[in-house]
Amino acid sequence: MKKIHKILILVSILFLPITFAEASTNSPLSFNILSPSSLSGTAGDFVTVQSQITNTGTTSLSEITSYLSLVDTENKLPVDLEDWSAEKGLFIGTIEPKQTLPLNWKIHFVKAGKYSLIVVAEIAGKNYPQTSTIVNFSVGPKQNLNPGKVLPVALFTPIVILFVMVLLTYKRNSKLSE
Amino acid sequence: MIKQIWLKEIKSELYTWKSTVWLLVTSLLFSFTSYLLLTNKELSLLDQTELLWILSEIIIGVALLIITIDASSIINSEFEKETAETLFLSPMTIKDLILGKLLASLSLWVAIFAVAAPYIIVASSGTDLALPFLFFVALLGTLGIVGFIGIIFAISLVYRSVKNTLTTSLILLLVFSVPAFFSSTLKNNPVAAWFSIIDPIDNIFSSLDNILVDYHTSILQNLNFIIPLSIFCAIGFISLWIAVKYFKKQGVIRSTQ
Repeated sequence: MKKIHKILILVSILFLPITFAEASTNSPLSFNILSPSSLSGTAGDFVTVQSQITNTGTTSLSEITSYLSLVDTENKLPVDLEDWSAEKGLFIGTIEPKQTLPLNWKIHFVKAGKYSLIVVAEIAGKNYPQTSTIVNFSVGPKQNLNPGKVLPVALFTPIVILFVMVLLTYKRNSKLSE
Repeated sequence: MIKQIWLKEIKSELYTWKSTVWLLVTSLLFSFTSYLLLTNKELSLLDQTELLWILSEIIIGVALLIITIDASSIINSEFEKETAETLFLSPMTIKDLILGKLLASLSLWVAIFAVAAPYIIVASSGTDLALPFLFFVALLGTLGIVGFIGIIFAISLVYRSVKNTLTTSLILLLVFSVPAFFSSTLKNNPVAAWFSIIDPIDNIFSSLDNILVDYHTSILQNLNFIIPLSIFCAIGFISLWIAVKYFKKQGVIRSTQ
């Protein structure tokens, strides 16, 4: 009995990659990210991820939910898109054979770093998601503000006022003592 | 006579260390706010012009609060300390007293503006907005503050009590401030839209938004905010004029009828 179990496990392990490969090679959908180069920018920028979804199959597909998946490649962590994108997902009712539809996401670069992005689509009734190729991009730190300059002002203005207060008190006391 | 009253008030308001602590606290508030706005990672993602607008709201807000408190007590203290009768025995008119006190209250605004100016300049660095920012904060702030002082002085002459004038003035400030922070969706309501036209604080903030965020930096482009503010200023003076008439009728020592 144990032997049969072992054989079954071995067979399933051997055939698992084939099943995945089959799923991806027989994918009825293809993605094309049109704006990989324009994705780089500075923290605070709003950019549009322009992509296309094409039904390469021969039958129409219904109820497709597509969404973005973002990974912080420096910290090896997935990114919570709550602040990054207003559109959490895009729903496609039906896509006809050979039809191409645009999928655009407006994203807000929140934090500087290196990221990778993919578009994922789930088709109702299918066991495997369809994904685009990975697009790598980097977000630079915001430079237009000058925190270095504000520090002297933030520190010295109260100090100057304090100095004036002390000077006035000293002047007043010396006048009173005369 | 106006000058003497003004100088006397300035001395009591700015000469001792106790009377200038508020100015130190104000500068600490501006320091904290501007440093936070420019260095905090989440806040620094906002557009720089939005940061300038937030800073302008804080400057105007602080100034209005301090002037309201000062104006509520500056005339009434003469009644409460029973120095008003002595003052009017001197060759001084009610007009001299009011103008002297008005100049003294406005001097506090000048002091706040002088403290705020370095923050305005440093926060606007990298943009062309430093000069319009300084000019319009001075213009809009002065119009709004003069209007408020007029109304508060009018209340003072009627009430002759610091506590009652201060309570009424602070409530008045709150009434005008709260709708100014309403979202644009709320302002679409006809009543809110009407109130926003006559609300001086809303006009100041909207004009600063127009200048700092939308880059409409000429006076002509801000006339729709400056005209209602000037009308508010005029209302302040008219109410003060009516209150002076009422005060003269009542006499320095209020007649008990």
